[in-house]
Amino acid sequence: MEFEFLLNDVLQQISLEKKEDFYVFSYGGKTYEADIQQISPHQISVLIDDVSFRIYTAKDKDSRYFLIDGLQFVVKEPTEQVEGFRKGEEITSEGTLLVKAPMPGKVIKVCVSEKAEVRKNQTLAIVEAMKMENEIKASVDGTIKKIHVSAGDLVDSEMPLIELEPS
Amino acid sequence: MFKKILVANRGEIAVRIIKACQEMGISTVAVFSDADRLSLHVQIADEAIGIGPPPAVDSYLDMDRIIQAAQKTEVDAIHPGYGFLAENAAFARRCEKEKIVFIGPNSDALELVGDKVRSRQTLEKADIPIIPGMKGIVEDTSTIKAEAQKIGYPVMIKASAGGGGKGMRIVFDEKELTPALEAGMREAKSAFGDESVYLEKYIEESRHVEFQVLADNYGSVVHLFERECSIQRRHQKIVEETPSQALDPELRARMGETARKVMKVSGYNNAGTVEFLLDKEKKFYFLEVNARLQVEHPVTELTTGVDLVHQQIKIAAGEKLPFKQEDLDQNGHAIECRIYAEDPQNNFLPSSGKILYFKEPHGPGVRHDCGIYSGWDVPIYYDPILAKLIVWAENRETACQKMIKALDDYVILGVQTSIRFLKDLIGHPQFHKGETTTSFIQDHFADWTGEKGSEEKQKLVLLAAAFDSLHGTTSGKNFQMTKKEIYSPWLSLGKWRLGGK
Repeated sequence: MEFEFLLNDVLQQISLEKKEDFYVFSYGGKTYEADIQQISPHQISVLIDDVSFRIYTAKDKDSRYFLIDGLQFVVKEPTEQVEGFRKGEEITSEGTLLVKAPMPGKVIKVCVSEKAEVRKNQTLAIVEAMKMENEIKASVDGTIKKIHVSAGDLVDSEMPLIELEPS
Repeated sequence: MFKKILVANRGEIAVRIIKACQEMGISTVAVFSDADRLSLHVQIADEAIGIGPPPAVDSYLDMDRIIQAAQKTEVDAIHPGYGFLAENAAFARRCEKEKIVFIGPNSDALELVGDKVRSRQTLEKADIPIIPGMKGIVEDTSTIKAEAQKIGYPVMIKASAGGGGKGMRIVFDEKELTPALEAGMREAKSAFGDESVYLEKYIEESRHVEFQVLADNYGSVVHLFERECSIQRRHQKIVEETPSQALDPELRARMGETARKVMKVSGYNNAGTVEFLLDKEKKFYFLEVNARLQVEHPVTELTTGVDLVHQQIKIAAGEKLPFKQEDLDQNGHAIECRIYAEDPQNNFLPSSGKILYFKEPHGPGVRHDCGIYSGWDVPIYYDPILAKLIVWAENRETACQKMIKALDDYVILGVQTSIRFLKDLIGHPQFHKGETTTSFIQDHFADWTGEKGSEEKQKLVLLAAAFDSLHGTTSGKNFQMTKKEIYSPWLSLGKWRLGGK
């Protein structure tokens, strides 16, 4: 099974399959075999190539916490994280919707032009960050009022991308 | 000996004192605010009494409520711990009046050493070395510039009524003086209800070295050697050790004798600590008396073999000190790390929340004084100290290694803690060399971000997360994404694509 997680705010992928009495997983283009045992609700033991690892774990409503060799990691679901750390848009004083960059990155493509009408979920722009592309979509129907960026621009998080007048 | 003691505190220190009482066969009463109903000290005490709403002024600092609780439970004595009412002379007086023994110094001595300005005057007369500074408190801002000029910059603004870094400001030139003074007075007012501040010469590259003292009610005063507490952030200690790397036997003996003299001159009894600053030239200056049990008392206990809380109780009950100065010796090396719920990457701002899972380190020479457990919510109302990790070994080198290992074995999931920061600090080459000064963290850890985790570790974390998702094994809510109807395009983005294009 394929899984996507946000680890320390970076999206990562891993696949994991259960075989008879062991597991096979792929990460970073390599495939490994592992013996994984849940010892208690908060402790997992992992053996990979005869090396033993002890992992502590706990979760609350939107995060999973893992501790290895004294180092704590926070794992979140991709979309929950996006919601959690920035709203990505704001209502301006004129009542328009300002769509902002979710994280630092590069504008790959602006898919709309000014005065164009857009439908909800239509792609407005594509921003690449940390080697991943992100389609930025309209959350409502409306008209494009202003475009603040063009393809090739580097943007910081929270920088305005596109201004939209909801219809 | 007392039959029953009320512990007027919370957190790890309340737990420490309650356990000491129980070891001595004394019954205990815990007090708690509404925010502490489920705290550890409440669970382990023989009796527990609610004393009001979460803010400390309405509960742990409310003398009437604590006295009422003491009367209701008919205790013989009150142990104030540290902080809250521990150094409040009015509270000590009130206890005396109500015929309840206050486990701490007599109220006159408490009042004297608590008044930093008056105690400076008294000690100066007794030839105790004092940091150059004002003879009195700041009365008007016009004279203060002249005073600061006379002392010579940099100067330090300090609250007359207290410690813990509250009200403290370092001023490097005259321009900064007025705003720093105003801020210091405001902070002193809100922390101690008294805005008096005074000026003192700021000694750069200094060490903070303090001496533990025990004094019985019959004039016998001993010191139990030093603790070096130079490692501080926001003027608050986070790592303490003994012996200090800066003292030799001759200097140690001289400072120890000075500490005893300070306590004798002040008419002090019970346990207390005399704080000194030690400058680059190994000249030492009296800073202040901490008229209470200190947070860092365990390092002294581990190296001298004396249980300071037991001694406090025995002294308060009228027993004589069971040893003389020449009976006391230091054995081995002890280090303490304070475990705070705080974020070292974000200016040590306190963090709160639920401790989802907690597992303490064990092993020979590892002591853990603790006020938390798995499932406990860290309240936002109080000092965010969770626990103290203390190690003892034959020498400093081994003690450092032991501490690093113990910090590695320490598991707290759910809240931010200082554990990783402490590990990097103890492992720092300058710490290893014993080059510790009060600006250590500023000098070496100002930009600390901590280890992000090797690819190997990240791989294991993802594996564990995938394993968890596959089986849904950990306790807690099912980890299903719930799409909320929120006015935001980021919820309708879909997943990120690896290597997309």
